[in-house]
Amino acid sequence: MAGHKNRLLFRKEERGVYISHLDLMALFQRAFLRAGVAIWQTQGYNRHSFVSLPLPLSVGYSSRCELLEFTLESDIPLDEIPARLNATLPEGIVVERCYEAEIPFKRIAAIDWTVALEYDDGTPEGVLPALEEFFAQESCVIQKPSKKSKKGYTELDLIPMVYQWDAAEEPHAVNLHLRLMAQNPGLNPAVLVGTLTERRPELTPDFVRYRRNEIFGADGGIFR
Amino acid sequence: MNPKLERILPRVQKPARYTGGEYREIQKDKAAVDTRFAFCFPDTYEIGMSNLGMRILYGAINEMDGVWCERCFAPWGDMEEEMRRAELPLFALESGDPIRDFDLVAFSLGYEMAYTNVLNMLDLAGIPLYASQRDESWPIVCAGGTCAYHAEPLADFIDLFFLGEGEELDPEVIECYRACKKQGKSKTEFLEEAVKIQGVYVPAFYQVAYNEDGTLRSMTPTHGAPAKVTKRIIKDLDSAYYPTHTIVPSTEIVHDRVMLELFRGCVRGCRFCQAGYCYRPVRAKTSETLVRQGIEACVDSGYQEMTLTSLSSSDYRPLTCLLDGLLDYCEPRNINISLPSLRADGFSMGIMRRLQKARKSSMTFAPEAGTQRLRDAINKNVTEDDLLQSCRTVFEGGCSAVKLYFMLGLPTETDEDVKGIADLADKVYQSWRAYTPNRSKGVRITISTSFFVPKPFTPFQWEKQISMEEYQRRVDLLRSCIHNRSIVYNWHDGDASYVEAALARGDRRMSRVLEEVWRSGGRLDSWSEYFDFERWMNAFRKAGLDPDFYACRERPRCELLPWSVSDVGVRQDYLWQEREQAYRGVITPDCRVKCMGCGATRLIPGEKCDVDRG
Repeated sequence: MAGHKNRLLFRKEERGVYISHLDLMALFQRAFLRAGVAIWQTQGYNRHSFVSLPLPLSVGYSSRCELLEFTLESDIPLDEIPARLNATLPEGIVVERCYEAEIPFKRIAAIDWTVALEYDDGTPEGVLPALEEFFAQESCVIQKPSKKSKKGYTELDLIPMVYQWDAAEEPHAVNLHLRLMAQNPGLNPAVLVGTLTERRPELTPDFVRYRRNEIFGADGGIFR
Repeated sequence: MNPKLERILPRVQKPARYTGGEYREIQKDKAAVDTRFAFCFPDTYEIGMSNLGMRILYGAINEMDGVWCERCFAPWGDMEEEMRRAELPLFALESGDPIRDFDLVAFSLGYEMAYTNVLNMLDLAGIPLYASQRDESWPIVCAGGTCAYHAEPLADFIDLFFLGEGEELDPEVIECYRACKKQGKSKTEFLEEAVKIQGVYVPAFYQVAYNEDGTLRSMTPTHGAPAKVTKRIIKDLDSAYYPTHTIVPSTEIVHDRVMLELFRGCVRGCRFCQAGYCYRPVRAKTSETLVRQGIEACVDSGYQEMTLTSLSSSDYRPLTCLLDGLLDYCEPRNINISLPSLRADGFSMGIMRRLQKARKSSMTFAPEAGTQRLRDAINKNVTEDDLLQSCRTVFEGGCSAVKLYFMLGLPTETDEDVKGIADLADKVYQSWRAYTPNRSKGVRITISTSFFVPKPFTPFQWEKQISMEEYQRRVDLLRSCIHNRSIVYNWHDGDASYVEAALARGDRRMSRVLEEVWRSGGRLDSWSEYFDFERWMNAFRKAGLDPDFYACRERPRCELLPWSVSDVGVRQDYLWQEREQAYRGVITPDCRVKCMGCGATRLIPGEKCDVDRG
């Protein structure tokens, strides 16, 4: 419906994972124009289509559950929009659904991640017990660089931000499944991996693959 | 994606430059393709993707059935380091395949300082540098672009040069290659076939001899190569390929907008300007074609910005009509149109008003020289009145920033001319004071000077460049003449322009310098953070060559110039005549006032240059 806030659910995969957050906004602004889908524009001096992406995704991470909010200004049925946009999007950016926004973004609570720690020479001994031990800690306080703080950093306890975890060991990888706090503050899984390997350098993987799988609301259900 | 590349990308800046996969990238089925063409731009992705020529040729070559043209750019330093460490050879963005496995590897040469990148990219690809080291098992290495008219410093590295506009020439050479490949011909046999095509220069087919004083004695064609290679042009730009469906990068590039080319060539004949002579004869597109192509390109790309390009856009006859046609579409859609390359004299209130609808806060003019005498000598037919009148228009329109471009070291320049730059800037300031509707906003007048580099195929091709010390003295002189805080002075460093001057008129022996610079770490030399003057001077010493011989030596008329094998249309004796006019301080009227018979019309037999097509 025109004039109402709408959302896209899209995937960010393949070569699309290297598109940065800002570039992705510009990309969608142009894609809406290419698709002939008129959306609300900012009313300032330099008018441009307005889109909002609530959860910036780090460059290199893939995702099956990205959200983008916009305001439609034409009478195009929402279910036609994914196909129209997909015809004008680059590789790896695929819109799955378009729907009316109901619950505000501030209600987003948690994100499910898959983090694959890859070991070229085989998964080191004792990874699973080490992970058990790490996540079983009462607290795990790290110093996070901060411009606002006088000290130049703030202290952050990672443990309460990890809602769930499990791990599966494979010959050349460990697949971590994590449910982490999404915002205010959000926990980037790379911070967890960094803290873990700082404490247990022998567990440092050759490569880490990050994928966002699902978003959850404050009520514990899937957020859309 | 290549697993090595995947491992590298998280560690480099702006990885999207190295992945491809953008909207409108052209993918082809390898099984249906018999010829792979790597279009290499010897600079970063952001620069290369901003190049209209590359976009045109990418589209034009990919229109050929069975041929796949892919892109390849120079990696930034961090990426290069990672690629070398991981032993990842230089690859094309579309397929990710190493370019050393391609049939043809072609470089676009827009400026001399990119030459070391050509060597570095060949090496990163694992391709031997010297043409003589490459047999049939290696790709044919070619190069085109403005510098190809005189790329003797690269002659030993390149198998084949494309001279002139490539829309027709490149596909012809590719077809020739395919036919030879099908018949199992050798590399030399292919090159012997290729030199029969107008616009193809195969440097290995010329025997070069030098005099004792280091000047060129002779260039003798062999293998049936022509004594003169005449550049190619597109006769009818309206029917020529223009990429309305072009790649939209997924990361920000330098010119991130629709580029619409109004015409090629220039009627002005500024005596320092290589493009002005090399791109003749003048051929324009009709405004109908441009309006159609501009709108199509906006619709297809989703860009909200468009720039009209040419060497002198105010000389486009139907400019008002074109702007009206484009604005009808662009204004309601908030698409900005920018119009660079306006001459100070052609600037009118009408154009200003039209552009203002789509926002304009700063204007740039290039008077090039500070006094009328010197502007006459270089044939920059802009008067002080023209400039001040244009500035008045701009200031009255509410604009509060003007940029003025000049060159230092132009032939016949005196201290009076240098001081004249400061005087002119001051007059522009006074014009602002007199005509701005709002003085409280203040004004910013920026003067930029570059160090004049004499270029081949211009009337100044015989000139010496002034020394770096003299250039610096003139910079200091100009600085000492500027006392107004609203006037900001920026100047280019002289050392890069000195190297550029040596390369621009170098001969084949310069290949040793390029190789030495590259071996000692030189690359990305057009970037100040990478350019190292000492490295270049050491390389000249090692090669036993004197950069002054190339940069700071006046050539006599009778000297055989290393670029004399290329015919760009404009005759050498016309250029000499223009040089003499420069020393007399006599201006040459633009082509519309009177055709001076420069020779460029030889390229369009039976047709006229600069036809008025409304």
